[in-house]
Amino acid sequence: MVYAIFLLSIILVLSFMSFSSKPSPIYGGVGLIISGAVGCSIIMGFGVSFMGLMVFLIYLGGMLVVFGYTTAMATEEYPETWGSSIVIWGALLSGILMELLLMVWLLEHDGMEVAVGFNKLESWIMFMDKGFSIIREDSLGVSALYNYVNWFMVAAGWALFVSVLIVIEVIRGK
Amino acid sequence: MKLPILTIIMTTIFTGTMLTMISSHWLLIWIGLEINMLSIIPILTKNQKPRSTEAATKYFLTQATASMLLMFTIVFNAMHSGQWTTTNIDPNNMIVSLTMIIALTMKLGMTPFHFWVPEVTQGVSLMTGMLLLTWQKLAPISIMMQMFTSINPIILLLIALMSVLVGGWGGLNQTQLRKILAYSSIAHMGWMMAILTFCPSLTMLNLLIYLMLTIIMFTMLNMNTNMTTLTLSNLWNKSPTITMMILISLLSLGGLPPLTGFLPKWIIIQELTKNNNIAMATVMAIMALLNLYFYMRLIYSTSLTLFPTPNNIKMKWQFQPKKRSLFLSPLIILSTLTLPLSPVLSTLN
Repeated sequence: MVYAIFLLSIILVLSFMSFSSKPSPIYGGVGLIISGAVGCSIIMGFGVSFMGLMVFLIYLGGMLVVFGYTTAMATEEYPETWGSSIVIWGALLSGILMELLLMVWLLEHDGMEVAVGFNKLESWIMFMDKGFSIIREDSLGVSALYNYVNWFMVAAGWALFVSVLIVIEVIRGK
Repeated sequence: MKLPILTIIMTTIFTGTMLTMISSHWLLIWIGLEINMLSIIPILTKNQKPRSTEAATKYFLTQATASMLLMFTIVFNAMHSGQWTTTNIDPNNMIVSLTMIIALTMKLGMTPFHFWVPEVTQGVSLMTGMLLLTWQKLAPISIMMQMFTSINPIILLLIALMSVLVGGWGGLNQTQLRKILAYSSIAHMGWMMAILTFCPSLTMLNLLIYLMLTIIMFTMLNMNTNMTTLTLSNLWNKSPTITMMILISLLSLGGLPPLTGFLPKWIIIQELTKNNNIAMATVMAIMALLNLYFYMRLIYSTSLTLFPTPNNIKMKWQFQPKKRSLFLSPLIILSTLTLPLSPVLSTLN
């Protein structure tokens, strides 16, 4: 289980690919669920439990549920699946090919330095730490929103209100 | 659009740009850009035609991509340098400086990310196009002026040179006035960014003069709702004063002395030659002639010749003007006659 975050990152990329290849929204919703859950697990593995809880509750349990219901109401007779487009197959094959090339390169040479250093898997390995941390950055950040930067909370609330207003205004029509 | 909603949306557009301009933390800058982009979408779709919807979609996709790249650069910079201020980006970090330039020039509409500017400007009304070409440039330029010491000058000069080229050659085949002004905006952005790494005060000077000229051009075109060159050629009969003002404003936009539009080009060429960049200055000055050519073609059909029209009588029943034109006279004077004030620039910081 040392490579937990590494494996979860692979699943994250695959599920991101599954909805960005634009199948019918039902299949895209499945990809969103998986990518949301896996993303939460990754950040919870790094210790940020509050953000993970927020994403599970609000994103998956609120927004994605509403999205699923509206898509089920507005779906079409022959939705586009993952296997029906040549793009998915081509991306899958080229991804597998590049993964094989990467492994061959890493076995031959000492590491790879393109944009970030990729020498070992040390930043992806999760060491089990026995202590506990008193300072929780994520929940302290939310409380700081109410305390130190309360004008920023006003701006954030205004942005949310205006975004709903804009969506309603754009789809109003004549 | 109902008045309270229009007020809220206009306030939010203003708030977004102001938030970007007053912030020194990268996250707030990005938030201001997002608020600005989101609240200008209903302004673009205000007149409910399919073309406006297409223009709003193109605008949204391009700007969202640029914001996404900017967010990537912000997080990358925070990861590598550990701080979120605007002025302390490490110029040796190639990824940050490159993708920052790409994100900000995509927001401004410079080459090679200029393809959305003519199409979006053509798909919306004249006043909305003016808002797009003037107010939306303020926020990205304010970011670039805060971080100009960490920009890679070679890439920025390349982008600026290509923008001047595309702005000149792209506008040659156009008869629609909104597309002509969009290509003029691309070329002027090229001039502004060419001098950014050498002397950012001149970017500000060029921006101010370009803003005045663009506002006055759009206002004068809006007074009789001229969208094409053909309708401009009937303008001599309807309002001869606007014909004259279009002449001098277009000549100023093209950069002819002794009008104000010559001032930024002159000083930019001077600063480029002071920094041993003579080839760039020469090529940009020659390419500005292409801009001047299509402005001259507009002036030719507007003021200098009379096209064959169904109405050749000089008398016309004049009606009361229905469109408000704020600040028409002061802006015309400011944008064409202030070249003798150029020594005041030596007193600026």
